[in-house]
Amino acid sequence: MPAFLLKRFMQSIVLLVIVSIIGFVVLNLIPGGPLAQYALDPGMTEADKARLAEQLGLNRPILVQYFDWAWRLLQGDWGTSFRDGNSVLSVIGRHVLATFLLMGSSTAIAIGIGTWIGIRGATHRYSIFDYAATVGAMVALSIPTFWFGLIGIYVFALRLGWLPAGNMYTIGDGSVLDYLHHLIMPSVVLALVHIAIWSRYMRTATLDAISQEFVKTARAKGVTERRVLMKHVVGCALLPMITLAGVQLPSLLTGALVTETVFTWPGMGRLFLDSLGYSDYPVVMGLLMFSAILTIVGNLIADIAVALIDPRIRLA
Amino acid sequence: MTSQNNSKTGFSRRSALRMMAAGGAAGLIAPNLLGKPAFASTPPATPTGRIVVGLSQEPTVFNPLMPHIEVDDAFDFSVFDALFRINADGVIIPNLATEVPSQANGGISADGLNWRIRLRDDVTWHDGTPFTAEDVKYTLQLIVNPDFRAWRTTGHSLVRDITVVSPTEITWRMEEAFAPYLSFLTETFMVPKHILEKEADPNQAAFNQAPIGTGAFKWGQRLAGDRLELVANPDYFGEGPYIEQLIFKYIPDMTVLYAQFKSGDVDLVGQAYISPDHYQEAKNLPDRVVTAEPKGSVESIYLNQELPQLQDRAVREALYLAMDRTAIIDALYYGVPSPTETFMPPQSYYFNPNLPKQEFNLDRARKILDEAGWVPGADGIREKDGVRLSFSNSTTVGNHLREQTQQFLQQTFGEIGVEMTIANLPPAVMWGEYWGLSQFESAMVGITYLVGGDPDVTYRFHTDAIAAKGGNGSNNAQYSNPEVDALLVEGSRTFDPEKRREIYFKVQEIIRHDLPFLPMFAYTNVYGRKAGIEGFEVNTNTRTESWHAAAWYWA
Amino acid sequence: MTALSASQSPTHWWQSRVVKRFLSHRLALLGLLMIGLLTLACVVGPYLLPYDSLFIDLRARFAAPFTGDHYLGTDPLGRDLAVRLLMAGRISLLVGFFAMVLSILVGMLVGVVGGYRGGWVNTVLMRTVDGFLSFPTIFLLLALAAALQPSPVMITVIIAVTSWMEVARIVEAEVRSLKEREFVLAGRMLGLSGAHIMFREILPNVMGPIIVAATLTVARAILLEAYISFLGFGIQPPLPSWGNMLNGAQQYLDSAPWLAIIPGVAITIAVSSFNFIGDGLRDAFDVRNDSF
Repeated sequence: MPAFLLKRFMQSIVLLVIVSIIGFVVLNLIPGGPLAQYALDPGMTEADKARLAEQLGLNRPILVQYFDWAWRLLQGDWGTSFRDGNSVLSVIGRHVLATFLLMGSSTAIAIGIGTWIGIRGATHRYSIFDYAATVGAMVALSIPTFWFGLIGIYVFALRLGWLPAGNMYTIGDGSVLDYLHHLIMPSVVLALVHIAIWSRYMRTATLDAISQEFVKTARAKGVTERRVLMKHVVGCALLPMITLAGVQLPSLLTGALVTETVFTWPGMGRLFLDSLGYSDYPVVMGLLMFSAILTIVGNLIADIAVALIDPRIRLA
Repeated sequence: MTSQNNSKTGFSRRSALRMMAAGGAAGLIAPNLLGKPAFASTPPATPTGRIVVGLSQEPTVFNPLMPHIEVDDAFDFSVFDALFRINADGVIIPNLATEVPSQANGGISADGLNWRIRLRDDVTWHDGTPFTAEDVKYTLQLIVNPDFRAWRTTGHSLVRDITVVSPTEITWRMEEAFAPYLSFLTETFMVPKHILEKEADPNQAAFNQAPIGTGAFKWGQRLAGDRLELVANPDYFGEGPYIEQLIFKYIPDMTVLYAQFKSGDVDLVGQAYISPDHYQEAKNLPDRVVTAEPKGSVESIYLNQELPQLQDRAVREALYLAMDRTAIIDALYYGVPSPTETFMPPQSYYFNPNLPKQEFNLDRARKILDEAGWVPGADGIREKDGVRLSFSNSTTVGNHLREQTQQFLQQTFGEIGVEMTIANLPPAVMWGEYWGLSQFESAMVGITYLVGGDPDVTYRFHTDAIAAKGGNGSNNAQYSNPEVDALLVEGSRTFDPEKRREIYFKVQEIIRHDLPFLPMFAYTNVYGRKAGIEGFEVNTNTRTESWHAAAWYWA
Repeated sequence: MTALSASQSPTHWWQSRVVKRFLSHRLALLGLLMIGLLTLACVVGPYLLPYDSLFIDLRARFAAPFTGDHYLGTDPLGRDLAVRLLMAGRISLLVGFFAMVLSILVGMLVGVVGGYRGGWVNTVLMRTVDGFLSFPTIFLLLALAAALQPSPVMITVIIAVTSWMEVARIVEAEVRSLKEREFVLAGRMLGLSGAHIMFREILPNVMGPIIVAATLTVARAILLEAYISFLGFGIQPPLPSWGNMLNGAQQYLDSAPWLAIIPGVAITIAVSSFNFIGDGLRDAFDVRNDSF
């Protein structure tokens, strides 16, 4: 196991280097730059901008800029945002909580509802419920998240007035209840796709578990159906679910980005879009690295989980 | 709609400017010029209450000398002071200085080269240290310090031999006469020497995240990505402040910003204001004061003069005739902005009202193109000497009103045999070299031409200001006319407002004829505030609604 | 686990078990029918409607659906929404289809070469796949779209660039497991070239998973186009696509909700149909693959 971990760790480092190179190259393909935000300033001249580019080191060769960035990163310095002058870590740190709150609550919703649908579908195999869940899951996977959000806003905010149309809280309120009120719609919207995936997975996992010997044994021993299900089946199915959670991380981030845009949620997705629009390279690179690390860690956890469950899969 | 009162404000401005030219008397009557509505109740004796200003961008730069954008001005004007202030009538009045220097009062020498500024003696920084001429000297020197990431250096780079005569008097010499410098100084905020000189690197100073100024409000706290809280400075030397807390709340979406204003979470809608489509509804909201007021920027189609098909003045004139501006303003912009023929804001003293009015006339447009030798090719698009009358138009992606306008123009241009394609770009790309070095073919852009209300537009229209040709400036249309060049140089060296007015009238006339850009309309901001807020005044000579929050109070 | 190998193929393809199983999958047939109808409507429909998708009539702006001459209403510029929806369908479906073709070609090439060659070639290729997969797709998409002029062709390429990795993984795994099979070993003993074995012998045996992946990639590509166009980085106006019709719809949500509802329904129908077909094919080929 330690050898495996070490190897995976080394691979992850290589992966991060690749990601950073791809990211840096793509970003530098984008013409313009962070100083463009001053282009329409009536008193700022091209000479002023040229001076700033020089001072900020923006006119150095890409290779030099990359190594400078990477070298600083190794020392723990993620750079400084061009837009607000704060360190990239603090900029990301400010937005990370909002995103995690959104992702966390939507994952909780997805697990809750998905598990229920999945188990019920498996125990009532080929019932109308099962069939509807199957079709429903496929349709849910086909709905653009942002559009689902728009429809949600139309129905629940504009027509019914039950939920706020956006933002994370009301100014001057900011109580826990107020946060929750704002959290409901975006997290349900973001959860939709994951409910679909989760329920399909849970259904398969439950079916697998039901057919296994020890469940049959337990049932033979006279343990009630419900207890067998809860204890053994869910227990067996849970580890694969962790795997899935790890693998699903990048798609969760993608979903979070568009959901945050629709609901003006002050998270990393919006930050990414804004920073990209203004070529705030340090922040964009920081977010890329951050999400890449998340993804890699997610995958790593998934791999370890798989290895723990299924000893047949060699940790190679 | 707002243009009716032009003549009236024009008059008062003119008379005020005369007064200013006549000997800096404006300084003595300054407090009265910060006019209040007649029905206003009196402000409270001690600062009370708080006002939440909603902004659609986040103020993030707190050192006023470092590069920042419009929205940061809201903060700078509240926490810092400049030597002078430009008021809503376009008159420069003293702020940290005791008088506005002029050639008449001897503050500026006859050749415009030697300046003398007298300062107030009752000003202290937020930490209690007195403000002196040393701070002014330090500020002006820091701006041109090559290691400092300064914002604008225009004008400042001409300053030489700064001498502190006494704690309340400072003099300097200008390398050349530069009349607009006075206006630049209204946006040059003073920073404390005693704090910044201790910093090894002013770019990374702690000051930049917890600044100390002389302004009516002090730094409270910042919840980044959310809001900025300022508290009243009870020792403020000037008028106000009357509110205890000033909060800038960042709401990144204009629809949400409006919704929060409607619901009452936001007391006053700041930078980017209420979008035109909400104007009608907003006007009828109970307990809200909603007004549409022109701002200092002009929306236009910029035409790159180096493109062969746009070099021909006949083409530019035909395009201008093919713009249905009434439809654009009334339908797409909900009738909020007003048409204009010039870069000069309609409310400026230097605005030339006698320019020919644009008309929408496709037949005449076609005739002009026919006469100029542009004949329709096989695909209906006109051609001349192998050049197709086709060009692209660019603006920032995601600006829906602009995208709609582009598509609308595309149609009417098509009707006169001109092809305009749309190539919109993310902001950093659009406003990078693509715009700066004139790589665009045509652009849809809203530009504020004046700095601090000064009519000098050398950096926009002078031949030497074409960055694409190695010049220094933002003449992005690559416009070049020797007559305009000469007038602009003369204008920047002339201090007398009346004489300057003549010069800039002529400049506007020529530019209206040459059409380096096709003016669409003068922007109008829809301001909104709760009914109880008094002392609020719109000042189009600044870039922010919060240019004088010191005067705000709850009735 | 794998699809039909050469020895199993019947005389006529329509007699195969795969086709029979697919035809018994009702949802898949529904999907096929929907796609057929949608394609037909997009191809023929614009000729039948009396409007031009680009014609602007400001007097007719914001007409509600089913009220006047415009079946589905009009947009903020007074253009007919029905004809725009169908023209947008052409763009979105074409982008989806060609993005799929490109990403399948790239994914197949990488997968086959990586799986067959093994060793360092495989390591390099698969680590690159991992690298690409470590980006949340949308980040890469948006960054690329910002860097390149977003014409429909460019958008197709950009989507393909972010969609080939899964195919590569599937194919690589299949090829690795087929590599040691008799028919491959036989081919090698006969002295056939590597390319011949890879593309003539192995590839046909991986077609099942590839076809399934292809169908699902179309669905995914249509969704991705919608995402980036919605965010303003995709297909540029005045050309309509389902995604960019939704861009800007949010600000009219209160006054003109149909602007948001209609294109979204079209996207959902198209994407679900491809997903249904993909599901049917997966059952028919008996491919076990949970990555989609």
